[in-house]
This record gives sequence, C-alpha cells and structure tokens, in this order.
Amino acid sequence: MSDFSHFTIKSFSEGLRAKKFSARETTQELFAHIKETDKKIGAYLSLDEEGALKDAEHVDRALAEGQELDPLAGVPLAIKDNILVKGLPATAGSRILKNYIANYDAGVIKKLKSKHAIFLGKTNLDEFAMGSSTENSAFQITRNPHDLKRVPGGSSGGSAAAVAAHLALAALGSDTGGSIRQPASLCGVVGLKPTYGVVSRSGLIALASSLDQIGPITKTVEDAALLFQGIAGHDKMDATSSKTTYQWKEFSNPQLEKIKQMKVGLPKEYFATNLTKEMDQALDETIHRFEHLGIQFKTISLPHTKYALSCYYIILPAEASSNLARFDGVRYARIDAQNPDHQHSNLKEIYLKQRGLGFGSEVKRRIILGTFVLSSGYYDAYYKKAQQVRSLIARDFDRAFKEVDVIFAPTTPTSAFAIGEKTADPLSMYLSDIFTIPVNLAGLPAISIPIQQKISENEAVPLPIGFQLIGKHFREADILGLGQLYEKS
Amino acid sequence: MASLINKKTIQHLAELARIELNDREQEKLVKDLQKILGYFKELEALDTKNIPMMTGGMDLKNAFRDDTASENTNQGAGKEVFPETHEGFLKIPAIFDRNE
Repeated sequence: MSDFSHFTIKSFSEGLRAKKFSARETTQELFAHIKETDKKIGAYLSLDEEGALKDAEHVDRALAEGQELDPLAGVPLAIKDNILVKGLPATAGSRILKNYIANYDAGVIKKLKSKHAIFLGKTNLDEFAMGSSTENSAFQITRNPHDLKRVPGGSSGGSAAAVAAHLALAALGSDTGGSIRQPASLCGVVGLKPTYGVVSRSGLIALASSLDQIGPITKTVEDAALLFQGIAGHDKMDATSSKTTYQWKEFSNPQLEKIKQMKVGLPKEYFATNLTKEMDQALDETIHRFEHLGIQFKTISLPHTKYALSCYYIILPAEASSNLARFDGVRYARIDAQNPDHQHSNLKEIYLKQRGLGFGSEVKRRIILGTFVLSSGYYDAYYKKAQQVRSLIARDFDRAFKEVDVIFAPTTPTSAFAIGEKTADPLSMYLSDIFTIPVNLAGLPAISIPIQQKISENEAVPLPIGFQLIGKHFREADILGLGQLYEKS
Repeated sequence: MASLINKKTIQHLAELARIELNDREQEKLVKDLQKILGYFKELEALDTKNIPMMTGGMDLKNAFRDDTASENTNQGAGKEVFPETHEGFLKIPAIFDRNE
C-alpha cells in the first residue's frame, strides 16, 4: 500500500475500487501506525481493532463480489468519544462515564454503518466537550501533531489531532461553540459545523442541546463535503432534526464558475481586535487570493458580536446543568462500586458523592454557573437576558445575509497555544472561541479551512491557522463550494 | 453584581446541583464565578426591551411524530453497567426513609 498520509477520502475510495489495496490491509497498517505514533500524540482514548478489521473484510468481500458501494465504504474514521457506537466505550472524557459502554448507535453512526465506513476508535475530548484545549479530559492530554508542546485545541482535539497526524482518514467531532472549527484551525485540518438540525444529535452526549451539532473533520474541503453528505438527514430520534432536503449535486460537483459570482462579507467587528500580527497578515493574503479569483468582498457589520461570549456562557451552562443531571452515579455505572466508602444508604448521598467524585473542575464550574443563572431571582437578569441577546445576534446575521452570500472571518484569535498556558484562568480559555461562538447561537453552518501560508527560507514552518466561512441556514453548499475554490486554486 | 457570590451561595448551588464540593473547590468557585459574572455585566447596558427570547437552535416549530404504534423498546439495555439489579429491575437505595 502507498503511504497512508497521502490519502484523502476521495483518493482512498478510488484506490480501493481500483483494487490497488484492500480495506483490511489498510486498516491493519493503520492500527500499527496508531500504536506507534499515538503514544506521543494521545489522540485516541480507545481502539476497536477487532471490530474495524471485521468490517473492513466485509467491505473487501462486497467489492470482490462487484457490489456498488458508497464512497465512504472502507474509509477508516475516528469518532469523538461523546458519540455513541454500540458496544464501544463512550466516556465523554469524564470519570463519571469511565465504565460506560454504549448500548445503541448514534444517528450519525447508524448512517455511516449503512455506508460501511470503518470506525477505528474513540478520540479524546475536553470532559463533556467543555473546553478549548482538550486539557480538561479526565484521562489524558492530547498534543498538537505540529508541535508536541502545544494543545490541539478543543473540545474535539483528539479528532483533529488524529486527522492531522494521519491516524485516521477523517473524523467526527461535535461543535457547541467552536469545538470542531477551533481544533481544526489549530491542527491545520478542515472542520465543518453544519446548520443546526441538519445532522442528528441522537446518541451525542448532550452538552447544550440548542447549540450542539456533529460535523466532519477532514484533510480537504472536498472530503468534508463527502462526509457531511454521509451524516446529514432527518432522524426521527431527534425532535429538533430538520426535514430540509439538499441538492447533493451541488456538493459532489460544485459549479466553481458560479461560485465566483458570490459576494462575501467581511464583518468589521471580527477584524477590529484580538488578532495577532501573523493572523492579520495571513487573513489579508487569503482575502487577496479570493479577490484574485474574482470574488467580491464587502465590509459588513454584526453589531452585537461583542456580546456573544457573555450570551453563550449563560445559555451553555444553563442547558448543560440540566443535561448533566442525568449523570447521577446511578444510571451509567457507579465509580468504584466495590469500594465500601461508596455503599451509601440513601439516594441523595449517592448523587452528591458520585457527582463530586465523577466530574472535573470545569464541569463543576459550568454546572454551578448554570444552576445560578437559572435560579429564582437571577433568571431574568441572566438567562432571559441572554436569550434576548441571542435573538439580536441571530438578527445581525439575517440582516447581513441580505447583502452577502457568505461571511469571511478568522476562526481563532491565535495559533495553537502552549499546554498549560490557559488552564488557570477559565475566562482566558473561553476567549479562544470568540469568533466561533456567534455561529452556534444563530444556528448557522460554518467551516474552518487551513490558510496556505507562505514558507520563507531559513524560517521555521509556521503553526497552522484557519479562516472561517459562515453560510446561510442550510447553505453548506456555498461555504463548501467557496472552500473548494480556494483549495483547488 | 459580583458580590452576589460568596461561599454560602456556592454551597447552596452545590446542594441544588447535587455535587459535593470540598473547601478548596468552593473557594476557587467563589473567585471564578465572581470574575465570570463580572464579565457578564456588559449585558446590562444593552437594551433588550420587547426583544423576544430565542429559545432554540433555530425557528423549528413543534415536531410531532405520526401517532402510530410501533415496537421499539430498549428495555434491559444498560443493565450490565448498573451496580445492582434484581430480576431484571434496577436496584437503588430507598429515596424515602421508612420512618418518615
């Protein structure tokens, strides 16, 4: 088999069909590579070699029989550990779920299984997806493959690092306030957060139900389109699942000449502050490249942007505090059940002890904060106010999208930061997501795409950074199309 | 508004949230929450009179399933991770005291 690192989903799928290699052979080699390389990266929390090889053999047999298979058949994927795959652990990076084995498949997993994709294992994340560096995992930290002293971003840091280090061909992450796009940006890969409601949340361990969305992390924009197509669609197990239908031709065969007619907005609030000089310069060059391709830019205003962080850190903890009530130390396996100290006489004591023992400090902080903003006397000042501000933020986008088709923005304020740099001050960590959060509040689709940076002689290779394209509701085709235009130019 | 948070409020919230916190955790949370709520102060200046609340990810209307019967139970699943079971039922300590 040729070097796995060169493959995209597309080229892998073509090679597989041309019988240049078998699915089993690639999967086996990939596991050998993971066991060697992941010791220093720490992307995976658990592997399923036996299951993956069995599924790969099945794909090989089907291809040998001449069956027509989906482009995702045989494609080895990494799955964030807050997405349930039946029979595999699903810890969500938390001690309280250390012993939990998923007993059903998430909606997205059901869809991917029907297309015969291969699941290599479950990837590391900040506990319950709360964080921007993957340092909040109860089990291990994950290192950025481009610089092992730095974080991969988060919360889908394991998935982004796995793709960047070629420990999977692509991965699934989840994005509540940037948890797909921010790690994709820091690891130099592509990350797509779909429109709210387009991808089923059934079997995604809920953080904030009105913000969460599962999406692909891939090496190319073209692959993101392929994997998005594989997971999108209505699911009756998710009450917020949309029945909107897509013209998939737009995704498999984007009309690049038509895409060049698009008008792109530059929100002045996103470029005003918080950007490093390198970031500013790289974004500038990217804009020039798009202009060179014929794309027209227009400065726009999203005036309520500066309130998005406050708004988000009220709504998210509020929803999380109620979602995480189900982890009570009773339903999903007890921690140290054999320990005589944990043989409690009443239920309340189990709750208090198990949750105190099972949750890490960031999770406790957000549950307490969420309990506060929802509590009687403070509800109006915080929770109600935040939901009104959310309306204003969504309206900003509605207004902007009357003038432009797509919005161009940075994904992150900086490139990957050092491990330990932001762990002491929660607020500084929260600020890592200022450019990604508004999209989740408004329920819009957005993608982070690596900036192709100039590498000057005698200079160190710069750390990856991404730019972000934000689209109208249900218009993933626009941002994926524009992204492919950039990628192919 | 930041002074709203002291050790007593944290203890009360922890009781409501059913999380046992040690002394050190309580002290850290007082500081963290004061700082975070201090940041939220910026919202006070924003006029939101007559602005409706956005309560979900988008304007989805009520989603109803068809009112048809189907057999789809997950009964028994998850039992294997449960600390104690009895004849297919999940066993937990009593919620109420017998003498209450």
